[in-house]
Amino acid sequence: MLNEKRVILMTRMAAYEAGEGRRNMATGRYFRGDYVALQLLKAFISATLSFALILAVYVYYNFETFMEGLYEINLMEFVRTQVGNYLRFTVVYIIIAYVVCSVKYAKARGGLRKYYNNLKKLSKLYQERE
Amino acid sequence: MTVLLEIREKIKEIYSRIDAFLIPFVRFLLAFIVLRMINDRLGYMTRLDNTALVLIASLLCAVLPGSMILFLAAVFSLAHIYALSLEVAAVTFVLYLLVYLLYLRFAPKESLVVALTPVLFALHIPYVVPIVMGLVGTPASAVSVACGILVYFLLATVTGNATNIGGMDSDEAIAKFRLVIDSLMGNKQMLVLIVAFAVVTIVVCLIRRLSIEHAWTIAIIAGVVMNVMILLVGDLIYDAGFSFGSVILGSLLAVVVAKVLEFFRFCVDYSRTERVQFEDEEYYYYVKAVPKMMVPRSERTVKRINRSSNPEAEEYGRRSRMQEEEEEYYPEDDDVEVWEDDYEEEEYYEDEGNE
Repeated sequence: MLNEKRVILMTRMAAYEAGEGRRNMATGRYFRGDYVALQLLKAFISATLSFALILAVYVYYNFETFMEGLYEINLMEFVRTQVGNYLRFTVVYIIIAYVVCSVKYAKARGGLRKYYNNLKKLSKLYQERE
Repeated sequence: MTVLLEIREKIKEIYSRIDAFLIPFVRFLLAFIVLRMINDRLGYMTRLDNTALVLIASLLCAVLPGSMILFLAAVFSLAHIYALSLEVAAVTFVLYLLVYLLYLRFAPKESLVVALTPVLFALHIPYVVPIVMGLVGTPASAVSVACGILVYFLLATVTGNATNIGGMDSDEAIAKFRLVIDSLMGNKQMLVLIVAFAVVTIVVCLIRRLSIEHAWTIAIIAGVVMNVMILLVGDLIYDAGFSFGSVILGSLLAVVVAKVLEFFRFCVDYSRTERVQFEDEEYYYYVKAVPKMMVPRSERTVKRINRSSNPEAEEYGRRSRMQEEEEEYYPEDDDVEVWEDDYEEEEYYEDEGNE
């Protein structure tokens, strides 16, 4: 005999698993600290790559100026300025990434908590039948 | 008005029946328009300017995730620009990569906005973008809109300077590179538009979320007025060269589009028909779950509270009210938890006559 309540519950859970739940489960596998650390590592790599690209465009754009003043330019000063820019850029980006991934993790855990609660209810419904 | 409401209900009903086919078809159509436009506007690589190829790519977009449209649009535009000049293609590639690394990695769902904003600019209806994104998106959508504007102006710079770039020798690589970057960075119109659209998206989104009556209408009007004001001030300060006739007309069109969107907003929030399969030890279940149609609570109840002269009657009244409230919060059959994104604020609309 079909149990209507059970079918409704299972349908909702299956729909969640197929959609939003799949992403949330991938996030929820991690402890918060591990998830945030992994995302920050990715953000660090992204920021480094992005800064390298911007710097490459800047150097190529000013290539002629650099070549003309090659012997007059203070290379150490230039490197120091760019390292400072890189650090500022990376720190700001990592702070933004931290906020974004913390919010994402909290949302994913919230959704999963409801999913696990429904799982318990489903198991209770099966026990009642037995 | 009743006719319009009936039409809306009918559209929702049809949508719930055919959404499994409609969504891939819309994706196909969007991809086709985007890729066709890239071929028409850029079209430097003749091998790519082929309708069969565009159709195949659009079909791919219909079955693959939504971000595929942006990916293929980027590939097509890069290929065309590469055929024009390697250096300009390098600038374009760097810009695309920066947009992905810094922003789209966090919000892949917003990739469609980045792809469609240049299309709406090309169709001369850009003022719709910030209003619509404010209504259906989040404040972060301002970044997607800004990225879309950047991409549009980069492509417009390339097409505008194509003759100059094509006429330069291969040993003038740095000059080509500088020409594109200077034209892009010196474009005051782009900077004013980025600021205006970002501010309007955020303002519309924040007003729309307020729990006030007519929040959507107020948000739309505030957004349009703010957009015109910022563009006007930007034009006065930077001499950006906006045509105010087209700004006003575009803004009016934005209001019309936004009002249509407001009318169908429950279709936008509409939870989709779910087709799921699962099993237990007795059965295989193939379930099609169709969401109930929802309407906002329109009835208002006026509760009269009269001070009673009899303290016993007052106490009795207080207790019965508390009991009623408790029953309201803890209904007996509330043992199935409802997902908050499905049916949080609206009531189910079944049959008003029975209530």
